[in-house]
Amino acid sequence: MKNSTFLQGLRDSLLLLLWGVFVLWLSFSGQLSTYLHPSLQPYTSAAGVIFLLLAFFGFRSLFTLQVTHEHHEHHGHHECCGNHLGHDHAEQAKEHQHHGAVDGMGAMIFKTILLLLPLAIIVSGKATAYSITTIYNRGVVDNINKLPSAKAGAAAAASAAPFAKSTASVTTVATSDASSSALASSGGPMPLQVIDMLYAVQMPSYREEFEGKEVELIGQYIPMTTGNPKGDRFQAIRMFITCCAADAKPVGVTVEYPKPLKVSEMGWVKITGKPTFPMEGGRRTAVLNATKVEECPAPSEPFVY
Amino acid sequence: MTLSTAWFHFSFSDFQYAFLSILLEGLPFLLGGAILSGLLEEFLPQSLMTSLLPKNPRTAIIVSGLLGVIFPVCECGIVPVVRRLLKKGLPVSCGITYMLAAPIVNPLVILSTLAAFRGQGAWEMTILRFGLGFTVAIMAGWIVSYFAPFSILRPGLLAPENDHEHDHSGSGGMVDRLQSTASVATRDFLDVAVYFVIGAAAASLFSTAVNQEIILPLAANPPLAIVSLMGLATILSVCSTTDAFIAATLTTFPMAAKLAFLVFGPMLDFKLLFLYGAAFSKRFILSLALGLFVVIGLLCWRISSLNLAW
Repeated sequence: MKNSTFLQGLRDSLLLLLWGVFVLWLSFSGQLSTYLHPSLQPYTSAAGVIFLLLAFFGFRSLFTLQVTHEHHEHHGHHECCGNHLGHDHAEQAKEHQHHGAVDGMGAMIFKTILLLLPLAIIVSGKATAYSITTIYNRGVVDNINKLPSAKAGAAAAASAAPFAKSTASVTTVATSDASSSALASSGGPMPLQVIDMLYAVQMPSYREEFEGKEVELIGQYIPMTTGNPKGDRFQAIRMFITCCAADAKPVGVTVEYPKPLKVSEMGWVKITGKPTFPMEGGRRTAVLNATKVEECPAPSEPFVY
Repeated sequence: MTLSTAWFHFSFSDFQYAFLSILLEGLPFLLGGAILSGLLEEFLPQSLMTSLLPKNPRTAIIVSGLLGVIFPVCECGIVPVVRRLLKKGLPVSCGITYMLAAPIVNPLVILSTLAAFRGQGAWEMTILRFGLGFTVAIMAGWIVSYFAPFSILRPGLLAPENDHEHDHSGSGGMVDRLQSTASVATRDFLDVAVYFVIGAAAASLFSTAVNQEIILPLAANPPLAIVSLMGLATILSVCSTTDAFIAATLTTFPMAAKLAFLVFGPMLDFKLLFLYGAAFSKRFILSLALGLFVVIGLLCWRISSLNLAW
């Protein structure tokens, strides 16, 4: 057996093993939700299991090759692959790798580094959220009609679940913010999602359900650089995803809060206040008049869907 | 690390985040394609596939374009499958037609397009997407049929004739056959994954660093709108099963431009540009990219001038 064939087989199996371990670790630690829509997470988890299975078969293949090689050296036989073709040893080595050419050493090192790169990024633990740079590049959506599935969601919301019946969000938003249900049952401020306010801008009946009432909303803080003459406004945003964080769109509402704030850009804040829906610049918009803004930990589910 | 100009603001951590997201989303589909490739290699007799295709080359290309309806694979998984089918003897023209059409004509994509465009001419958009995608794929297949396969494929991808490589289907015990399937799947996955990693990096760079609002002023001019949305589809590299939901929100753009987004994106985006490198020569990929861009752009422009009621 050629050393390069064995080395490539070993490299392949180790890469698959590492990929399997990392993907399953992301899956079991709940970190997949930082990257993917819930509907796609099972596929990625399953891929982790399949990586391990392929690694197992890869190691088994290497072991079989090693044993066969030693057997051949000992007995001088030339049987391989079950085909009894009488190949010489060099051909046998090729035969077992016949589904892909063996890379040269330079190519093997380059490919190995490239395939280890994503794992190194995972280990670094730094790539878990967007900075404000991407938010500005993508632009904050403040019109529900510019969100995927928004019309369908709004129609379903209007027909199936009047807001007054429940304090839970009636949109397609993920509502796993831990505080929401507790607050609702204790009679505190009504928990609301950023996206609820955007729906309300478009739907008068929905708007009436919570306009002027005390609500609580969790979002990420970004300063307002335009449309903020008094300097008392900021935006609370959430990331809306269709399939993964790469397609995330920031959705946000304007928050009016006259007191000075010491919150870092993209920091999570819990806002208590009263929703208003004034006409600004010739169109209706959502503004949350805040009475209290405090920093809070990121919710377990950072996205809205 | 950040880098900033008027239209380009780069953040390394954002790039890494988008990069991992695309990889984690695409990996299962790429792996699925590689496993399908392993199964095809081990269990599909070479003679069966060639006997199933019509003998007339043009009819065979049309049938290949429709294979995606009954044999759905998304654009990430399609490359290892097509590589394997080509090695099994599928004519290159049929392979390319299947590769370009499958991510558009598959049932999941049809349903998602219908759902996404509800209230915005869903049936018209879905039929046009299917029809245009299918037509362009067949045109590409027909053109490719006039060229020698070695000028299109990477070396080593041509179907074996009398050389060392042979058909394994039907030989060995089940464990050995699974072992062989796994071996093929592993090699194919890792071969293609290298290109996928590079493609994901390119897509992440552009999707996080380029200010996407720069294309908004182009919406009022149909030709520019079409070109800009094809460019956006290339940059975003969204899966064809969900891209309709993104296109439907581009409300300021004309429908023909959205159609261009939905047809061009699944055939050629940044990650595919690199993924195709696992099967085809660089010269062919560049020609394909240019050809698709021009043909889809012109057809969508023509459609926009028809003033369809949608």
